[in-house]
Amino acid sequence: MRKTRFNPDHFHPNQIPMYLVLVPLAIFMAVPIVFIINHAFKPIEELFAFPPRFLVENPVLDNFTRLARQASAGGISISRYIFNSLIVTVAVVFLSMVMSSMAAFALSKLRFRAKSTLMEINNLAMMFVPIAVIIPRYLLVDNLGMINTYFAHILPLVAMPVGMFLVKQFTDQVPDSLIEAAIVDGAGYFKVYHKIILPMIKPALATVAILAFQSVWNNTETSTMYTNKESMRTLTFYMSTLSSNTNSVAGQGMAAASSLIMFLPNLILFILCQSKVMNTMAHSGIK
Amino acid sequence: MKKLRIGLVTRREMKGYVFLLPWLVGFVTFFLVPLVQSVWYSWHDVKVTATGLKMTWVGWENYRYIFQQDTVFTEQLTNFFTDSVLRLAVILVFSLVIAMMLNQPLKGKGVFRTLFFLPIIVVSGPVLERLVNEGATAVPLIESYGVNGIVEAMLPPMLARPLSSLFSQIILVLWYSGVPILIYMTGLQKIDSTLYEASMIDGANGWISFWKITLPALRPMILINGVYTLVFLATTGLNEVMATINDRMFRSGEPGGGYGIASSMAWVYALSLGLALIVLLLITKERKGKQIAIQKTGEQIAIERMHAERARNMKRKGGKKHGR
Repeated sequence: MRKTRFNPDHFHPNQIPMYLVLVPLAIFMAVPIVFIINHAFKPIEELFAFPPRFLVENPVLDNFTRLARQASAGGISISRYIFNSLIVTVAVVFLSMVMSSMAAFALSKLRFRAKSTLMEINNLAMMFVPIAVIIPRYLLVDNLGMINTYFAHILPLVAMPVGMFLVKQFTDQVPDSLIEAAIVDGAGYFKVYHKIILPMIKPALATVAILAFQSVWNNTETSTMYTNKESMRTLTFYMSTLSSNTNSVAGQGMAAASSLIMFLPNLILFILCQSKVMNTMAHSGIK
Repeated sequence: MKKLRIGLVTRREMKGYVFLLPWLVGFVTFFLVPLVQSVWYSWHDVKVTATGLKMTWVGWENYRYIFQQDTVFTEQLTNFFTDSVLRLAVILVFSLVIAMMLNQPLKGKGVFRTLFFLPIIVVSGPVLERLVNEGATAVPLIESYGVNGIVEAMLPPMLARPLSSLFSQIILVLWYSGVPILIYMTGLQKIDSTLYEASMIDGANGWISFWKITLPALRPMILINGVYTLVFLATTGLNEVMATINDRMFRSGEPGGGYGIASSMAWVYALSLGLALIVLLLITKERKGKQIAIQKTGEQIAIERMHAERARNMKRKGGKKHGR
């Protein structure tokens, strides 16, 4: 009944009503991307035009050149910020995927005490307003001597309660019989995790990767709170100071340009990850 | 004999902890410890000074203040929950409809799926705030035709306020559907297509199969989506309650300001959210009786499957014969 190929070969008239619903909605979904791209190329008159215009009329590169000039005037070269951002981002995304999938495997499939209590505590932490723990966290980072280190950027973001929740729910769906069969065949827990769990929860992991990337790449909080040396701060922080420190008119243009620059990695990672998500979903062995 | 069994169990547990340990360490130090500390602060009057924090014990005074004197916070809190009920329903239904459509054979489905998942990289980023400020999240038609005015005139304020706030942010609400659509689709793909074939043979139409097969099979997904969406709505930076808590935190000295009050507000917020999640859990659990009934008829399903298989084989054979 269902074809194994994802896209059907032929267009069929039956599909027209669905297109009528899907196409307008898809346009709504694409609105923010179109806006961000257009906004960055607007000359100043268009940025402040009233009523605000959505699409750019005379695209110019002014905003980018102004941003580049401002960046080269600073004391520390921009490559340092990029380097910091890259290290922190890669570390957080990788560690949060590994940690949440391992913990989800343990909490979902292995037997030990305090399992459900741990999950409930995780769910409580998920609901808690992140801002409200800023001061205790600052004191903690300070006490551990991690101010001005990469650890201060990485560790607070690694254990992501929402990611853990999503992965755990997915792991629950992996049939126990599969794991039992592997254990009967002589596989250890690590092998089960590596060969069965990981391939099966790939869609959830890709989602976690996207969420983790979002939370670390866009984060300015760790730079403002846990560092006081410029050389340890991230690109996102630098971009936000660039656009807010200068006078407001030029700042608006630079802010638009910098938000496009900061947004592009999001888009690239998304495109890479989403095909992985979709493919694993289409061919997932979970039935 | 008994000793050996205990040894086995603890060894198994040890292995479990090995997997859990990295996450547990990170979680305890950076979530649990600050969380417990913030409970402690919520019973104090906290002043940030140059030499460190200065705390004076006030007991439940902060909580009493929130509920009896602070009018802003409690109002925002109730507004948030009435808004959320409506938004949650819209998001859950909308994403289910989209997911089911995208699960049909359709040309260009891959592009649509990408587009519907796309907003996830926008809604959790800093770009969103600018978009909201620019008014990109409201449908201009709704405002120019005065839909909100009609809603406010027709309905009691209890219903009108959440409805008009939903309409004014409808695009934003739809953007939140990225992850739910994805989760629904994984669920839909897991449903055995022979179930549909069997029910078709037994004379069920699409509507009946939706209620009897699709929806029960998606129940765990509905729960995941409900929890995810509610938490997302609650912790997004655009949330009024979050803004208030953030604002109060840095206004120590003023009445209703300071870290102590902010901590207790955060706890009131988190606990009421927890309560809402329990309600959500109960709603989805209420139908568990039905799910058990479906599991009980596992043999029936197996028989149905056999029938379907046989019917298919017969069709295939018939087709071959016909061809020859």
